[in-house]
Amino acid sequence: MNSDIVLVCPVTEPYVRRSEHDAAWFMGRVLSRLIAASGVGKADIDGLCLSSFTLAPDGPAPFLQYAGMSVRMLDWIPTGGACGIMAARRAIRAVAAGDAEIVACLAGDTANAGSFRDLLEGFSVFSRDAVYPYGAGGPNASFALITDHYMRKYGAVREDFGHLAVAQRRNAQGNPNALLRSPMTMEDYLGARPVASPIHLLDCVMPCAGGDGFLVMTRARADALGLASVRLLASIERHNAFSDDPMQERGGWLLDRDALWSKAGVGPQDMDAVQTYDDYPVISMLQFEGLGFCGQGEAASFLRGRDLTATGDLPHNTGGGQLSCGQAGAAGGYLGLVEAMRQLTGVATSQVARARHVLVSGFGMINYDRGLCTAAAVLAE
Amino acid sequence: MMRSQAMREMDHAAAGGMVALQSCAYCGMAQYPPRSLCHACLSADLAWSRALSIEGVVLAATVLHHSHEPDFRSALPLRVGMVHLDCGPQAVCFVQVAEPGTRVRVTATLDAQGRAVLTAQPFSMPKETMG
Ligand SMILES: [Zn+2]
Repeated sequence: MNSDIVLVCPVTEPYVRRSEHDAAWFMGRVLSRLIAASGVGKADIDGLCLSSFTLAPDGPAPFLQYAGMSVRMLDWIPTGGACGIMAARRAIRAVAAGDAEIVACLAGDTANAGSFRDLLEGFSVFSRDAVYPYGAGGPNASFALITDHYMRKYGAVREDFGHLAVAQRRNAQGNPNALLRSPMTMEDYLGARPVASPIHLLDCVMPCAGGDGFLVMTRARADALGLASVRLLASIERHNAFSDDPMQERGGWLLDRDALWSKAGVGPQDMDAVQTYDDYPVISMLQFEGLGFCGQGEAASFLRGRDLTATGDLPHNTGGGQLSCGQAGAAGGYLGLVEAMRQLTGVATSQVARARHVLVSGFGMINYDRGLCTAAAVLAE
Repeated sequence: MMRSQAMREMDHAAAGGMVALQSCAYCGMAQYPPRSLCHACLSADLAWSRALSIEGVVLAATVLHHSHEPDFRSALPLRVGMVHLDCGPQAVCFVQVAEPGTRVRVTATLDAQGRAVLTAQPFSMPKETMG
């Protein structure tokens, strides 16, 4: 179904640690790059899926006026780490239904001295009421509790998380869009200062400014434009799953993974690369488990013997992931998807040999004590 | 200070040294954080009960070495945990123990900004050290 609709032109507005530009600027720059990369005119883009945390008080409609656009399909997807996959799903359906011919999917955010604190304090009602007053640790504190529980229950140790982080830094070394590219050893990882035990500095993504995006259109249109395209074989999303689990130790992927693999016609063992949402490393482990690479609580032992670099036996977060690239707000929900598109079209900076199938997974929105949104997609050349 | 209307009930109770807990008058479900509808049956008929303390079990804990608020920085490191309340929901609390499984007594006090904050301490600690 929808195999005649494709994803093209993964673009990135380079990440920077801080910026004086506003979020709309980053989103507009992504749009400009999409137009340049595809050769379509701005007026040819008649659908738009947007995500941003720092665009407020503006939303998607004000952005249209800002960027001088008129569209007939407009979607706002405020689900953080799940937004990229959700945008692709909605854009494909929109094109299939005839609601739009070319949909631009993009996310962008700015970062400055006060923006991250403001974002945290006002992130959600529950967070403001019942988490922030407890030391204002932000996501570090919430993920520390999830990580503490996971380590105690399943026996994962810091070296297991370091195994992911060190491999991702290797993968980042050729990526000019990664803010952190200097070599990192396990000793560096283990020696990092504690932030919110058991989380240390190199478990944390660096908040930054930037943006990512891609276009969705028919294969015929992409071919006519001479664009390398990627197919989405299957995808899933699930929100607020397992709400009765006292501590989050699994995500919604588990409920839909059989449908995902069945529809994709391939399995975990067929993936030439895996892009997980790595804010924080424990969440990557929940994705390997939830998406069927191993059983519940087994990710640490499953990953221990595997080479997670782009030339290894299980290439993971091959552009460096957010741990090395930085987290440009909602663009963190696009990072894995644009990297998967680059791998499948042979233009990645740490290219996997013969990348034919890539799994992308997303996780977003720590509202109170857990991430609420999960998504995954299997992409093919 | 931004605060939801439902949370203000906890603030008022904490000012008097009490923990206020919200539950549904229709289906009986207890919920935390408090909100304007019952999350189970969506009834708007909500009730509050007050107690000197409520009980629970520590699920996980962390020691914060970093805070996004300058006001907290002099208090670092801060120990924060997740407590599974016996009445059902989980609550982020300041905790005095790090070991999951420890039974705790949870009390409420007002912080410097007038917000109710929950503190959990192990049952075995003598009562006069509370608060
Ligand atoms: Zn109810």
